[in-house]
Amino acid sequence: MGGLQKKKYERGSATNYITRNRARKKLMLSLPDFRRLCILKGIYPHEPKHKKKVNKGSTAPRTFYLLKDIRFLLHEPIVSKFREYKIFVRKLRRAYGKTEWSAVERLKENKPAYKLDHIVKERYPTFIDALRDIDDALCMCFLFSTFARTGKCHVQTIQLCRRLTVEWMNYVIASRALRKVFLSIKGIYYQAEVMGQLITWLVPYQFSHDHPTDVDYRVMATFTELYTTLLGFVNFRLYQSLNLVYPPKKLSALSSSLARVVSSEEEEEAKLDQFPDEEEDMEKMEAREKEQKQLETQKKIFEGLKFFINREVPRESLAFVIRCFGGQVSWDKSVCIGSTYDVTDETITHQIVDRPNVDKQYMNRYYIQPQWVYDCVNTKMRLPVEDYFLGVTLPPHLSPFVEEKEGDYVPPEKLKIMALQRGEKPDEEEDEEEEEEEEEDENEEEEDDEEEAEEKNLKKMEEQRSQGKSLQVKVTPGKVKAENRARLEQEEKAEEKRLAIMMMKKKEKYLYDKIMFGKKRQVREANKLAAKRKAHDDAEKAKKKKARK
Amino acid sequence: MAARRRLKRVASSQPGFLSFKSPSDTTASVGSRRKRVNKNKKKNWNKYSDVNDVDEFLEDIRHQERTTGGLLSEKTDDSLFFLDLGQPEKPQPQAETPQADEGKKRRGKASRPLRIDLILQPDSLVPPPKDILAYQQPNAKKLRRIAQKAEQLAAKGVVPRKQKRLLNRRPVDKTVKKAVTEANNNPDRDYYDIWGQEPKVSADPWYLQQTGKKLVKRPEKLNEKPSVLPAVEVISPGGSYNPDFFSHQALLQEAHQVEVQKKKQEDKLERQLAINKEDKATEETNLREQVEGLVEEEEEEENNDEESAPSKEDEEAALAAIAVTQKKTEKQIKKEKAEKLKEQQRLTSRRQTEQQQQLFQLRSIKASIRQQEEKTKSKQMQRRAKQEAQKAQPRRLGKLKFQAPDLDVQLSDELAGSLRQLKPEGSILKDRFKSFQKRNLIEPRERAKFKRKLKVKYVEKRAFKEIT
Repeated sequence: MGGLQKKKYERGSATNYITRNRARKKLMLSLPDFRRLCILKGIYPHEPKHKKKVNKGSTAPRTFYLLKDIRFLLHEPIVSKFREYKIFVRKLRRAYGKTEWSAVERLKENKPAYKLDHIVKERYPTFIDALRDIDDALCMCFLFSTFARTGKCHVQTIQLCRRLTVEWMNYVIASRALRKVFLSIKGIYYQAEVMGQLITWLVPYQFSHDHPTDVDYRVMATFTELYTTLLGFVNFRLYQSLNLVYPPKKLSALSSSLARVVSSEEEEEAKLDQFPDEEEDMEKMEAREKEQKQLETQKKIFEGLKFFINREVPRESLAFVIRCFGGQVSWDKSVCIGSTYDVTDETITHQIVDRPNVDKQYMNRYYIQPQWVYDCVNTKMRLPVEDYFLGVTLPPHLSPFVEEKEGDYVPPEKLKIMALQRGEKPDEEEDEEEEEEEEEDENEEEEDDEEEAEEKNLKKMEEQRSQGKSLQVKVTPGKVKAENRARLEQEEKAEEKRLAIMMMKKKEKYLYDKIMFGKKRQVREANKLAAKRKAHDDAEKAKKKKARK
Repeated sequence: MAARRRLKRVASSQPGFLSFKSPSDTTASVGSRRKRVNKNKKKNWNKYSDVNDVDEFLEDIRHQERTTGGLLSEKTDDSLFFLDLGQPEKPQPQAETPQADEGKKRRGKASRPLRIDLILQPDSLVPPPKDILAYQQPNAKKLRRIAQKAEQLAAKGVVPRKQKRLLNRRPVDKTVKKAVTEANNNPDRDYYDIWGQEPKVSADPWYLQQTGKKLVKRPEKLNEKPSVLPAVEVISPGGSYNPDFFSHQALLQEAHQVEVQKKKQEDKLERQLAINKEDKATEETNLREQVEGLVEEEEEEENNDEESAPSKEDEEAALAAIAVTQKKTEKQIKKEKAEKLKEQQRLTSRRQTEQQQQLFQLRSIKASIRQQEEKTKSKQMQRRAKQEAQKAQPRRLGKLKFQAPDLDVQLSDELAGSLRQLKPEGSILKDRFKSFQKRNLIEPRERAKFKRKLKVKYVEKRAFKEIT
C-alpha cells in the first residue's frame, strides 16, 4: 500500500510519555542518582489516562514520566556534578585499593559538591510560593533534628536541621504567630499564621525513636537536603521582614529573647491602621477593628506570668508555646543551658509539674499540669487553673483543628469553654446557675410577651376591618423594626423550601423523607447523648445535694 | 712533562717479566755485541735512551711536593722536628680550676685548632685541578656579543620588542582562587536573600544562550502540585493524648472497620477456595475409576447396539432432507419472493400508522425523553464526582500499589493519664514517607530482596556422613 498510512504508537499520548529506565539512560545517570535528581527538581511520575496506548498495547505496570519534563532535566547543571561525583568515588576507591594515601588526601580535599540555590529559586519564584510549601520542609527538618547523632545519616545534616528549626521557632516567638497546638499520640501539631498563610507542622516527641526498616533513608535524606536549603532562605527572608539580624546568635536554649525586636513590635502594633476606605461600611470597619483587638489580646495570654518547668516535662515544646504568648520561662540548670532563674525564685507564678505530688511547695505559685498551657492556647484565654492541679483528673484535650458542623455532637467541655469565651460566668455554684436559668427564662418570656402584644394589635385591626369600619390608622412614621434582615431572609428561605416540598411528586417525596430521616437521625443521636450526659450530671448534683444536707 | 715511559707492547719485554730466552744464553751476546744506534733521530730518542734515573728523581720531587707541601730539603727545621723537653711544670691547681672553663677557651689569643684538624689540612703545593667543564659555556662568544649589543641599544634608548609587549600588557586581575563549594549540609552555611536580588543581566542573551550559561525556563506544568491533598493531615480528635470519650470511640470504630474489612476479604478468599465435600475423591470412586473398562464387557455391547440404532436413523433423515429440497427449489423461490413483498408492505403500512399515532403519544414521548436526559445528567454528575474523588486518591505509579498506613490508635487501656506516661504511637518518619507516596511525589517501592543467581548446594561434612 502507499506510505502515507499512520503507524501505531507513533503520535499522541504514546510519544508524550517515557518510561523510567529510558529516561535514566537518556540522562546517563544511575537509578539512585536519577531518583535524587527527580526529587530535587520536583519532577514526579505521571499516570497516563490510557495506559494501554502509552505502553504500546500492554498493561504491565510501569513508571512513566512526561517526555518534556525529562528534556527539561537535560539542561540541569547539577547532572554533571552527579557524574563528577561518580568518577570521584571511583578514583577514591582505586586510591584506597592501592593504599596511595597521599592521593586519597588530595582527592578528599577536592571533593565535588553542588549547591541547590538555583533550584530553589526556580521552583519557588516568589516568597509566597515558598511559604505555601514550607509545611513539608518544617516537618522534615523537625524530624531530622530529633534523630540521634549516630552514623546513620550525616551528622552535619542533623546539626543544620537543628539550627534551622531553632531559628524558625524564634521567628514564631518574635512575631507571635502561633495559633493552635494539639498534643496527639503521634506528636505535637502546631499551626501558625505567617504573612497570611496558615502553616501546620508536626513535631515528634523527644523520646522514643525506633527507626522502621521499610523507609527509604536515601529518599528522605534527599528531601531533607532540598528542604533545609529552602527553609534557610525562608528564615532569612522572615528575619529580614522583622528587621532582625540573620543568622542570630545563641538561640539554642529558646530562653534568650530577641528583646530589642519585641519592644519595637509592640509599638508598631499599638496603632491600628485606619484605612480611609470610604466604600466600606462603618460596620465592617468596626468589625475588623474588633477582630484586631481580639487578636492582640489573644497574643498576650501569658503576659506578665512567670513559669518554671520541672524536669519531667517536655521543656522545648512548653518553652516555645509559653514564650509565644508573652510569658517568661525558666527551668532547672542541670537540664539545659540558658535557664534564667531558679526554682527558688519568689516571683514565679506557675510551676509546671507532671508528678502526682511535689515535696516542697511554695506559697504564691500555682502547681499545674502541662495541659493547662496548651488548652489556654487553644481557647485563647486563661482557663481556670483549678481543673489542672496536681492529682486532678484532667479534662480531655480537645483538638482545635476540628470544626463542628450543625447537628454533630459537641462535647460538654467544649460547650463550657465556648460559654467561657463568650464571657458568661462559669457555673461555680448551683445558686448562680439557677439564677442564670431563671434569667434566661425571663428573657424568653419577655420576648414572647412582645410577640403576643403585636399579634393582639394585628387581630384588633383585622376585626375592625371586617366590621367595615375605617381603620383609625394614621400614617405615622413607622418604627424601624429591630429585627434584622437576617431573620427575614431566613424566613423567606424556609417558605421557599416548604413550597418546593409541597410541589414534589409522591416518589420524590418518599425519597426526600428518607434522606431527612437519615439526617435527623444524627441530630437525634446527639440529643440522646446530651440527654444522657444531662441525666448523669443531674444525678451527680442530686447526690451532692443530699451529701450537703 | 718528561718523556713518559711508554709501555712496551710485548709483555715479555716489560720489567719484571722473564724473557723467553734463558739469561745465560742472552747476556753474553747482548753484552759483547752492542748494537750501534743513531741517537740523533727522533725515532730513537724514546727507544734507546734510558731516562729512568731522571724519571725517578723527578717523581721523587713531585711526590714531595704533592704530599708534604714542598721539598723536604727546603723546609725549616722547626717544621720537621721539635725538641722534646718533657712535660712543662704545672702551676698551682687552685688558681687553675676557677679559671678552668675560661682558660680553656682563652689559651692563646685565639682558640687553637685541634692537632688532628691540622694534620688533615691539605698542604700540598699542587693545587687541585680546575674543573674545566664548569668554565665551559656553549656559545659564550655569541652570548657575549648579544649582551654587548643589547647594552649598546639600551644606552641609545631603544627598547626591545618583548619588553615593549610586557609593558603594554594590562595588569592581570588577581582572581581569587576558585572557591571550594561548600557542601550543602554544612551546619554553618550562609543564606542570603534569594528573592530580593534582581537577576544580573551581564551580557547579551544570545551569547548566554549559545554558551549554555542561561538557565532554561521551567515549564509551567511542573508548577502544579501532583495532588490536592494537604501536606500535613491532622489526626482526628480521637487521637489526642487525652481524648474525649466519644471521639476516641469513633476512632476505635474506624480502626475496627478496617480490621473487619480485612477479615471479610480473607473469608471471601477462603470461601472461593472451598470445595464441596461430596466432590472429594473417596476410595470407592478411586477404585471405580481404576477399574473402568476392565470389568463386564457384555453390558457394554448391549449399550453399544442401542446407541448405534438411533444414530443411523438420524443419518437417513438427513439424507432424505437434502434430497427433498433439491426438487422444490423453484417453487420455493417464488413463494419466498411473494412472502418478502408481503412482509415489506406490511411493514410500511405499519410504519405509517405508527407515525400517525405518534401524534397522540406526544406526552409519553416527552416523558421518556425527559427521563433519558435526567439519566444522562445524573450519570454525568456521578462521573464528575468520581473524577474529583479520584484526584484525592493516590495514583498508581509503578509496580506496587499504595498501601495505606495503619491508623494510629491507642486502645483504652493504653491511654496514658499524663504527658509523662505517654508512649508515642507510630513513627513520624514512616508517616511522612507514606504521605509522600500518597501525594504522588514518589512511587511506592519495596526493599530489594537478595536474589541468588546460583543455587546453594548443601553437602554433608564427611564427619557427619560417617555418623549417619
